Amino acid sequence: MTDISPHDTGSLPSPNGDGGSGATGEFVQQWRNAAYNCFSSGHKFCREVCPVMQVTRNESWTPTAFHANVVAMEQGELQLTDIADDYVNCTGCGACELRCPNTLFTGDFYRFRTRTVDLVKAMRALAVDQGIHQPGWQRWNLLTDERSHEPVLGEVPVSQDHVRDWSQGLDIPVGGESILFVDCEAAFYRTSVPRAVAQILRRAGYEFGLMNEQWCCGGPAAEMGYLEQSQRFARHNLDDWRAGGVKRVLVLDPHDYITFTEDYPKYFGEEYDIEIVLVVELFAEMIADGRLAPSVPIERTITYHDPCRLNKRKGIWQAPRQILSAIPGLTFHDVDRVTQWSYCSGGGGGLPIEKPELTARISESRVDKAAQLGVDTLVSACPWSERPLSEAGDAKAIDVVDIHELLAESLGIEVGGRRGQ
Amino acid sequence: MSTYRYSEQYRPPEARQVTDVAIERFADIFEVDPKLMTAHVVQQVFPNWDTLRIVASRHDHLDWMHRHWAEKVVSGQRLLDELDD
Amino acid sequence: MTIAPALTEPVLDDLRQVVGGEHVLTDRAARFNRARVPAPFPVHRWSERVPDLVVLPGSTEEVSEVVRIANAHRIPIVPRDGGTGLTDGAVPLRHGIVVDVKRMNDIKEIDEVNRTCTVGTGINMLKLNEVLGRYGLIYPDDPASYPCSLVGGRIGTSGWSLIGSRYGHSRDLVLSFDFVLPTGRVIHVGDGAGRKLSKSSSGYQLKHLFMGHQGTLGIATEATLKLYPKPEAELSPFFAFPDYDSAYRAVGELARAGIATFAGAVLFDEWKVDYLRRDDEAYIPQPADVRALVCAVAYGYEDEVVAGGRRLMRIARDNGGRYLGDEVSEGDWAARHDRYATPLHGRTLAGQVIPMSWHCEDAAINYTNLPQVRLEWHEIVRRLRERFDMFDDWGMFAYTSADTGVDYLTEIDVGIWEQRLDDESWAAWVQAKKDIAEVALRYGGSISACHGSCREGEVDLVPQELGGGYDVMLDVKRALDPNNIMNPGKYGLDRAYEPEAGGAR
Ligand SMILES: Cc1cc2nc3c(=O)[nH]c(=O)nc-3n(C[C@H](O)[C@H](O)[C@H](O)COP(=O)(O)OP(=O)(O)OC[C@H]3O[C@@H](n4cnc5c(N)ncnc54)[C@H](O)[C@@H]3O)c2cc1C
Repeated sequence: MTDISPHDTGSLPSPNGDGGSGATGEFVQQWRNAAYNCFSSGHKFCREVCPVMQVTRNESWTPTAFHANVVAMEQGELQLTDIADDYVNCTGCGACELRCPNTLFTGDFYRFRTRTVDLVKAMRALAVDQGIHQPGWQRWNLLTDERSHEPVLGEVPVSQDHVRDWSQGLDIPVGGESILFVDCEAAFYRTSVPRAVAQILRRAGYEFGLMNEQWCCGGPAAEMGYLEQSQRFARHNLDDWRAGGVKRVLVLDPHDYITFTEDYPKYFGEEYDIEIVLVVELFAEMIADGRLAPSVPIERTITYHDPCRLNKRKGIWQAPRQILSAIPGLTFHDVDRVTQWSYCSGGGGGLPIEKPELTARISESRVDKAAQLGVDTLVSACPWSERPLSEAGDAKAIDVVDIHELLAESLGIEVGGRRGQ
Repeated sequence: MSTYRYSEQYRPPEARQVTDVAIERFADIFEVDPKLMTAHVVQQVFPNWDTLRIVASRHDHLDWMHRHWAEKVVSGQRLLDELDD
Repeated sequence: MTIAPALTEPVLDDLRQVVGGEHVLTDRAARFNRARVPAPFPVHRWSERVPDLVVLPGSTEEVSEVVRIANAHRIPIVPRDGGTGLTDGAVPLRHGIVVDVKRMNDIKEIDEVNRTCTVGTGINMLKLNEVLGRYGLIYPDDPASYPCSLVGGRIGTSGWSLIGSRYGHSRDLVLSFDFVLPTGRVIHVGDGAGRKLSKSSSGYQLKHLFMGHQGTLGIATEATLKLYPKPEAELSPFFAFPDYDSAYRAVGELARAGIATFAGAVLFDEWKVDYLRRDDEAYIPQPADVRALVCAVAYGYEDEVVAGGRRLMRIARDNGGRYLGDEVSEGDWAARHDRYATPLHGRTLAGQVIPMSWHCEDAAINYTNLPQVRLEWHEIVRRLRERFDMFDDWGMFAYTSADTGVDYLTEIDVGIWEQRLDDESWAAWVQAKKDIAEVALRYGGSISACHGSCREGEVDLVPQELGGGYDVMLDVKRALDPNNIMNPGKYGLDRAYEPEAGGAR
């Protein structure tokens, strides 16, 4: 039911083996030590970095509660039905698990760290498995399954026929050793991002193609608990890469990057022999070695939004800053990566689908922080953050720009495409 | 730039015993002797990137904590050296 | 478990009217998650402490109305802020209503000229200081729980700060606050009635009374805090010693030196050093003759810190301290909130790693009594561990409380494998806590410098510690809380309502 082995969660079967029978019992057994490791410290260093907590101040929706609930299940005090809805309130940003002393100070030593994001995903999967659905997520994943892409355009359908529309006029071949994978949001909604990326790659003389039959990466389905669907999509994509002789997948979206470097390895194990390259890191390298030389000055006063999945979950924060410092004309009011552990757009983990009002409050709070710096532009490197941030930015006259769009502009590239609707 | 390759992530460097209870795999990063985590809590699957991410984040966090409390840190070594002058 | 009969629909409706429907939580998960603090407790007894419902008020007026309703219906109330308190203060013993004040976390005013700020008591100090830093200011209340405890809880416990020797503790740093009494009446408590006064001699000095009562006298909702310039420089040298005695001598001299920028000193004993060798990157490689540690800390302008720092370095060196170097010194101080309380420090007697809750038994002890208290406390924990392989001695710290070296927050950290706590081992632990408290009193100390003393075990000794003062506590409690609705069951204050209760009269 879940894709978690004891060695992912650090639990051995409990001596008394309680916590219910069937899938729920198995889940509790798998997570009991991980849950206790939080419960028994109970310090809540995670609380003030949690984006949901910061705007709701509701202790039921803290990483601490998410772990304590498992302990209560083991004690027979709480049932899945008591808690399933609470687990909606997480963007999967990873701040809590990184800030937890059990990760930050002893995680590497014991090879045992706090895994709130995995726990939330597993609890959501357990709920789906037990027939407890969140209506928005159920519909979203149904449509995704039907269309092989996420319904990011609402009523406007997305489909296989249109997944490469963003590249119109760029004549990008299909196939090759290196392919560019474009997430649903960028492929259909913010098409300026993949257009910028593709044209920068071309400018640098980097050979690449598009995927033969690209489906959604499957990551969002896994985040919302639809694990079987996620695995099916992943299988399709891996098979497609294999069939086309793909060796390397270039990724522009941090969410895809997580899926390809965390979910796929779990699904496929040793079989997974595809190289994953994060475009923002590639571009920083190309600037450093002179393959790219941004020269068109961009007169903007900016700050940078560290995408959670890069900064917190992967520790990638230098490359984007290297790119920004190479763009002439920018006035850059940077906020350091550690302060940004408590920043989030609210756009992750399916939150905007199920609780758009909460996403809006989180992105407003993020944009407020940018506004206090007196900037006119908030630069992000994550297409999924850019929609909620733009909506919040409009109210504060702050323009939300993707780092790849900005780099392309400084390279004198006419990007084209749309920055959303 | 760090290209992700599965084959590079799941084989940590050889361990060196540091004390009775600690080993070292990556330079200057200590780990518990795995034999101490066999009875009650077992170690998780830990790709190499994750170990390195945590260590780097810890150092960034410690630097941040200094800056949070004061503009600069005075070196104790410098003061000690001055005592001898 | 169902909601108490007193909380019938009309009462719930009234509460919803006051705070809004979405801020009255009755679901099981919400209630279970406000029945816990980090202090260990047998997990199988969790449900004993679950409240009937939770309210999340957004203003002083709302708190006052909630308390009024509760008082009218005789429903117990438990104030809860960060929920990090280590003496179960925020845990309901009689069910009732948890008033969770975390939503009240606004910064209402920053007064740069008078150097104060006014905040909702649900705010966290680290978060506050992120904002104050932009003004070059700091609110220097620095418990080890700095990233997670909140101003209301600091008031409720009268908290202790790691750098209190320089800046004072919560009681010194909180100038005044709005306070909802158990009847719902709102008063302003401070020095005199002013919001921003640090010293008054008008009337009774009520501020002290309304801090550290563990929520038994009411709820602080908005507080005005004293601010300092953000320090220019920090110094935090760590020194190694071959034995406890020389480290003990050194810490005493450092604390007594009267250096103006001195913010605190910490003594780590042999048990603590052994424990650090389990998993702390700074101590794993230390040679075997490192058996005790001392750290001293200074904050201020760079020239002052350098001048004072030279003295600190000389004192430590002359007392046989070996400087551990900048990297360890700076890193360990910056890790002061994080390093010492993670569960996997726990070990069975066979050395296997187990997830243990950290429990800090603290007391206020005079310098001269530290060595004896230390030995007796370790012996208590040794006997406990001998009987139950679910307790672990994590060593002792002694921290200066004042700038003169008079007394120390003395703590023994005990790891407790909560997953395995049964009734027998729990009873043994409660007895050990009592023994630990008894030692503190025998040496003229106080049961707690920091967390409060209302847990099972220690709480029985509070009347002995306070003597006639405890009778005054009973009188005050009865006078302010006629219906015993404010955090009932804590500090043995139920006695105030017994027919034969004599009080201080
Ligand atoms: C890792 C760790 C380290 C710690 N280090 C220290 C330390 O160095 N120094 C120290 O002093 N403590 C320390 N503590 C203990 C704890 O953090 C403090 O007691 C803190 O003051 C509690 O604050 P809180 O916001 O979590 O309060 P809570 O736990 O929510 O409440 C504490 C008490 O105050 C009452 N209360 C809460 N809010 C209010 C209010 N608004 N008005 C009136 N009463 C209220 C509660 O009823 C309860 O009795 C530590 C705890 C942990 C987990």
